[in-house]
Amino acid sequence: MATAQRSEEIDRAMAQAAEANPPYDEMHAPDGSVRPHFAALARRLAAMDPGELDERQRTLERFFLLQGITFTVYGAESTTERIIPTDLLPRIIPADEWARIENGLTQRLQALNLFLADIYGERMILKDGVVPRELVLGAPSYRREMQGLYVPHQAYANVCGSDLIRQEDGAYAVLEDNLRVPSGVSYMLANREASKRTFPGTFRLAGVRQIDRYPDLLLSTLRSMVEWRPNPQVVVLTPGVYNSAYYEHAYLARLMGVPLVEGRDLVVHDNLVYMRTTTGLRRIDVIYRRVDDDFVDPLTFRRDSSLGVPGLFNAYRAGTVVMCNAPGTGVADDKAVYAYVPEIIRYYLGEEPILPNIETFLCREPSELNHVLANLDKLVVKAVGASGGYGMLIGPHATTAQREEFAAAIKADPENYIAQPTIQLSTAPCLIDGEVDTRHVDLRPFILSGEKITVTPGALTRVALRKGSLVVNSSQGGGSKDTWVLAETGVDPS
Amino acid sequence: MMLARVADSLYWIGRYVERAEHVARLSDIMLTATLDRAETAAQVARIALSAVGEATPEKIANPFESARALALDRLEGNSVVTSLARARENARQVRDQITSETWERLNLVHLRLSGATAAKSFNDGSSAFLHDIIADLHLFKGAADATMSHGEGWRFLLLGAHLERAQLIGRLLEVCFGRGVEQLDHPTLTAVLRMSCALEPYLRAYTADVRARPILEFLLLNAEFPRSIRFCTDEIEAHLSMLSRHAEAVHVGPERLAGRLKARLQYADMGEIERDGSHAFLEGVLAECGEIHRGVYDAFVAYPLEMRLPA
Repeated sequence: MATAQRSEEIDRAMAQAAEANPPYDEMHAPDGSVRPHFAALARRLAAMDPGELDERQRTLERFFLLQGITFTVYGAESTTERIIPTDLLPRIIPADEWARIENGLTQRLQALNLFLADIYGERMILKDGVVPRELVLGAPSYRREMQGLYVPHQAYANVCGSDLIRQEDGAYAVLEDNLRVPSGVSYMLANREASKRTFPGTFRLAGVRQIDRYPDLLLSTLRSMVEWRPNPQVVVLTPGVYNSAYYEHAYLARLMGVPLVEGRDLVVHDNLVYMRTTTGLRRIDVIYRRVDDDFVDPLTFRRDSSLGVPGLFNAYRAGTVVMCNAPGTGVADDKAVYAYVPEIIRYYLGEEPILPNIETFLCREPSELNHVLANLDKLVVKAVGASGGYGMLIGPHATTAQREEFAAAIKADPENYIAQPTIQLSTAPCLIDGEVDTRHVDLRPFILSGEKITVTPGALTRVALRKGSLVVNSSQGGGSKDTWVLAETGVDPS
Repeated sequence: MMLARVADSLYWIGRYVERAEHVARLSDIMLTATLDRAETAAQVARIALSAVGEATPEKIANPFESARALALDRLEGNSVVTSLARARENARQVRDQITSETWERLNLVHLRLSGATAAKSFNDGSSAFLHDIIADLHLFKGAADATMSHGEGWRFLLLGAHLERAQLIGRLLEVCFGRGVEQLDHPTLTAVLRMSCALEPYLRAYTADVRARPILEFLLLNAEFPRSIRFCTDEIEAHLSMLSRHAEAVHVGPERLAGRLKARLQYADMGEIERDGSHAFLEGVLAECGEIHRGVYDAFVAYPLEMRLPA
């Protein structure tokens, strides 16, 4: 792999590349007028003085700290806890836009589940040559242990969080699918509590769709995965209190009213899974696991895992317990497989994709490789196996030497690289140091699939807190804000 | 039915919160005593320090430093900050099992003690600081009582609290009266009553007749005072017998021990205790508390798996 640009450098380069085209502004039309669905909020903001907003921001931060909605930073001297930065101002999505997102995500997840059932079953899509065989079977996230296993309703990815972005023209596109153990839903729910407190009047009048049924829907989705026992026992499996998403695991368990277990609480005996309770061992039917594939069972996957349960995968194979999401779903959100998702939708559903992908060139295809090499100065090149900005080239802002180095690396190992045009994220108003300013945002809605597919009408809007930056990941200085999905289009509530 | 690990955590939250409250109170009383005569101050410091750890001559001679260490020293195993950090860590692990109201109280007092301003607050007004901590812990207990279901989890919390309390008061009495009952002066005896939060209830029961023997009797055998050892053993027995009712498996261990200890205190006679020596009696009580603790583990938490597979 070529020596990549460093991550801050990449962030800066991506931001510069995006500057070339003005981003889509969520709140203002190009003529500077406020878009109708933001009108009520804009009036409310104009009526508040900045000190008031600042004070509400502090109240909110205190609320998060008190509730323990924090992540722990382990330092040399002392350990401190920080809250995830949360922005008070909601992002608002009108009903017609949401309808398109909802249909698009439902269609996409339907197709991806069918794809997973197929590649772990008959492999028709590979035989028909629609997706290259070695791309799927050679992916590190492909689990041959899943071959031929029965998964109820063919629902492999029971919980999916897809990342959407809005390009310059305002069109939504899918940047990435998360089918492994997506997180962030607790922030979606906590942000809603916060924005209700901050803008109660505006919230009431706007006709915002409810999201608080998410825990119920999650529980019924998980229960629908058991067809053979009434009242199945559901548990949430967490890596433990030191995991950065621990708050979310506890939160979901509490709101679903099911036990939150760790690997050490479970035992497998005769292919049945039990939890250790004060009154002896109790049988478990469904595990909503927030532990990665690699760590769920040291006998099947990583041997050095102490987070998992020895023998769990065998019990799963024997059909006595359900794991949600199924192991091996990661192959469907692989960076290279991503490029084929539109084809996958056409293949299984015979429909055109409702939500487009970001245009992606696969260097493994000779014609696309030539295009990439000829246009290195315009493209973003990513190594397939890497994430978080490693192994990346931002063509327009790389030096000639860096481009040459990458070109050599791509030629040496074309299968490992994909390329995309520079992306742009829309901007939304945010409260920054007491002033309203704009920042780039993306959108992560949550989709549940069991007996049926449900898209919760809300999302986690992630915010790149640094001016101009496109990096929204919470591990790299991103924050989040509430997302209001309106029940009706074109209603000005005033 | 609840996870064994969860029961274990709730039990320890109860223990650590009780310990934190006791240590905060002892630390406060040790500081207040420095306003008294030097001999009394040293005597009170010796009692307080021995009751929760080790009383070295150096520690006795520096009551302010010792009190601060008991409150805020993270390296001190029994300090308030350590106990509360552990209680809160346990609470985080069972966050789904306790109500938000209960969690908030504990989280708040933890943040206050471990925050950057804690040392300054202690220096500016140690008594007010410790007083607030104790009041916060009372709020925690109140929130648990008023908002948690009074089921299995709540019982493990209270079992831990009462077992810890019996042992803390037992150790305090052992330090004060283990070697005979008539050596402490009046201000010291008043301080001992304050350490067990018993001054006002004692005065109502015995009037202002502050003497060692009735104090020992009150703190050992009073049926109504919540910090007497008898009261604690009643509670321990009540919670354990309710907990065993949930369990299908018959385990005689901890309930039997708790029932026996309860009866021992219920039918104890002060004259007999004095004749045989209060030291022997207190030793016996503390040893049985230790056995109950181990019994709880064997019965509910760390049982062998092969015994508990469903049929």
